[in-house]
Amino acid sequence: MLEIDDLTVTYGPVVALDQISFHVPEGSITAVLGANGAGKTTLVRTISGLVRPRSGSIRLGQRDITRLAPESIARLGIAHVPEGRGVLAELTVEENLRLGGLWRRDRADRQAAVAEAYQLFRPLAERRSFPAFTLSGGERQMLSIARALAARPQLLLLDEPSLGLASRVLTQIMARLKQLVVEHKLTVVLIEQNARSALSVADDAVVLSLGRVVAHDRARRLASEEGLRHAYLGF
Amino acid sequence: MAIRLTRWPSLRTPTLARHLVLALGAGVLLFLISSQIGAYDDYNLAEVAIFAIAAAGLNLLTGVNGQLSLGHGALMAIGAYTTSLLLRGRDLPLPLLLLASVASASLIGCLFGVAAARLRGPYLAGATLALAVGLPQIATRYSQVFGGEEGLTVAPPAVPAWLGADFPPERWLAWIAIVAALVTFVLLANLVHSSVGRSFRGVRDHEAAAALAGIDVARTQIQAFVVSAACAGLAGSLFAYWAGVTNPAGFSLALSLQLVTAIVIGGLGTLSGAVWGSIVLVFVPSLTSGMASSLNLPTSVANNLPLAIYGAVLVVAMLVAPYGIDGGLHRLVALGRARWAGASSNHKGVVDWDDPAGG
Amino acid sequence: MQRFVVLTLNGLTEGSIYAAMALALVMIWRATQVVNFAQGAMAMFTTYLALFALERGASYWLAFAIALACGLLLGAVVERVLVRPVESAPPLNVVILTLGILLVLEALAPMLFGGQIRSFPAAFSIVGLRLGSLQIPLSPFDLFILASVLIMMGLLLLLFQRTDLGLRMRASAFNPEVSRLLGIRVSRMLTLGWALAALVGALAGLLIAPSLLLYPTYMDQVLVFGFTGAILGGLDSPPGAVIGGLAMGFSLSYVGGYLGSDLETVGALVILIAVLMVRPRGLFTLRAQREV
Repeated sequence: MLEIDDLTVTYGPVVALDQISFHVPEGSITAVLGANGAGKTTLVRTISGLVRPRSGSIRLGQRDITRLAPESIARLGIAHVPEGRGVLAELTVEENLRLGGLWRRDRADRQAAVAEAYQLFRPLAERRSFPAFTLSGGERQMLSIARALAARPQLLLLDEPSLGLASRVLTQIMARLKQLVVEHKLTVVLIEQNARSALSVADDAVVLSLGRVVAHDRARRLASEEGLRHAYLGF
Repeated sequence: MAIRLTRWPSLRTPTLARHLVLALGAGVLLFLISSQIGAYDDYNLAEVAIFAIAAAGLNLLTGVNGQLSLGHGALMAIGAYTTSLLLRGRDLPLPLLLLASVASASLIGCLFGVAAARLRGPYLAGATLALAVGLPQIATRYSQVFGGEEGLTVAPPAVPAWLGADFPPERWLAWIAIVAALVTFVLLANLVHSSVGRSFRGVRDHEAAAALAGIDVARTQIQAFVVSAACAGLAGSLFAYWAGVTNPAGFSLALSLQLVTAIVIGGLGTLSGAVWGSIVLVFVPSLTSGMASSLNLPTSVANNLPLAIYGAVLVVAMLVAPYGIDGGLHRLVALGRARWAGASSNHKGVVDWDDPAGG
Repeated sequence: MQRFVVLTLNGLTEGSIYAAMALALVMIWRATQVVNFAQGAMAMFTTYLALFALERGASYWLAFAIALACGLLLGAVVERVLVRPVESAPPLNVVILTLGILLVLEALAPMLFGGQIRSFPAAFSIVGLRLGSLQIPLSPFDLFILASVLIMMGLLLLLFQRTDLGLRMRASAFNPEVSRLLGIRVSRMLTLGWALAALVGALAGLLIAPSLLLYPTYMDQVLVFGFTGAILGGLDSPPGAVIGGLAMGFSLSYVGGYLGSDLETVGALVILIAVLMVRPRGLFTLRAQREV
């Protein structure tokens, strides 16, 4: 459902992504792996519209979203949880969550989505009217993911979600995501430094190195391929 | 510190010598021109020189040190009032009065600079704005001393006997102003090329890095402020002679903004920019009044056309400058010229503060 | 004692206008990290438009509404047409842009409306109220000033804290990039922010015109005092701006009353410098700098 075709992104003279192509099927989790600087974050920032590619295209289903503004892309149902979380620190937890799907028309469903977020993430419910800067790092991570989910996206872009999260919480979140993937056909693109844990939860995996795709396969197969793991994934 | 070798052999000679030669040449040229033109044009020439002094000082603060001041009109006022007050009924030598004005303006500049040393960006702008609007009010408040709204009158400097009885006083004032401007420029150019100047630029370009490199940011800001205030004081003193009267109305916020306009038009951070900007500042009103009378525009329009044009120029310059205003039009011209000539240096006769080696 | 009461009440009413100006400046600062030096001139212009309407036979309230509506429009247009293109330029550029707008407006006003000093009517009587035999140094118009500023602030508070739109505007101001990822049309929010700020400025211009009289530069000092108040309170803090503006009103009233009215701006300058020497970022700034 997400088609990346010949995508090239440059920052001045630096080539961050070099003619990347791959396909993300609907209702699956695709891990994007690789060392620091490989281009993973650039990739999702380009998908969500924060970065303009030099050439190539990105399609969501039938729709070419390559040159759309980020807010338009968000309104098509793509939710991007950025590296560094992007929690609006001066706003309360509740306000952050409400912002999740504020552009959606269905007010009742919006409120239901927020309520679901509280159910899934208990700590957030406890701090609901506190400003977000009072949250710990892990709680902020929870908040940004919850906020993204509150928009009921069809495509979720997660940039390093495990950072700062206790493994128990991470497992909980991943389980929930899996559930959404299965039940609601949610598509997830997951960037992770920790390749091992990402591969354990993902269906497919794409490995980037220096802006190029060096591997694209089913996660299980990649995890078992020792040479690749050692070369690019660190285990 | 690495030694830069360039294609310009003259750059190997001491900077001061080079600047003095340039100044001397410019001076001779200007004196010649001044002798050929009429008294009224000499009057305008003097005005250009006066504003160029103030603008050069402001350009040091804003273009080189990166801090915007909206209050330099007030600093000019200090210079003007110092001269006017000292002159009342007394006959003091001109250089002494100029120095006194420089001193008083520098003192206020120093006090203000110390007080505002930790202020940045909008906070500093706001403080200088308050200075611009507030200082002239002191003159009105203590009108006994400062002559109130009407102000103090100043007689133009007497033409020395050896120039002959026919020598117009406007020309004499123009010569004085030109000499003052050239001296100022030489001093400023040397300052900017010195280590102090480098620390100014360092703070402008990346304050955090400069601080880490050991530059005392606050002191740099104070220094820049004092020097620019000194220039404003000198300009103000000459302005008192030039205008003939020193009153609060002559030093309104509009004056401070006109100085900002001058350096924006002329090019931030360049000495020649101060000159270009001053030329524009002086000649736009006469151009517009000429235009207004030939088009039969009402006085309300005619009087306000210069300000409207300055404002429009500022707005358009900001909208249109693709590289930011650093260097302004001048920088674009120089860049174009350099590329065309294949050389990597600026054309002769222009002291570019930002590129002492011309690259 | 009597004098103190008079000065205090005077400070309160003028302070509320400075608070409004300070609030307008802070609104724009929070949204776009710009100090709109043209805020006062914009308010001057809308007040002239109100006078224009009055002279053509409009009622006071119609002229009032026209000024406010024009304020909204002017703010939106300025943001969209002039500020938007230089959004990503160095901050110095935008400041100079607003200075240019200030000059243009202050030159345009006398061209269109004449440069001589004009009087502007007050909505209500400016004679002090009577409580039985006691004359209070507070007039119906003073009360109107206080009431309108309070109502304006109350409405803004409601907007920002209780509505979805306000939430979007706040988010856009705090983090435009993340807000865009959340589907917020940030540029629209910025335009709206400028429009609302100009509305507040327009109100300030209308309220202070009767006492200052209308001439092209009459809002310069209001800008300075409002800006000083905003800086005192910390540019990031709307409540700080209001408190700062009120503090300016009181201080200036006392300075003017006890030391002479020509010294007001000097007084403002001294207060500003004194506060900034101790707290270079204003009194109420909670957040650390955004830069670096």
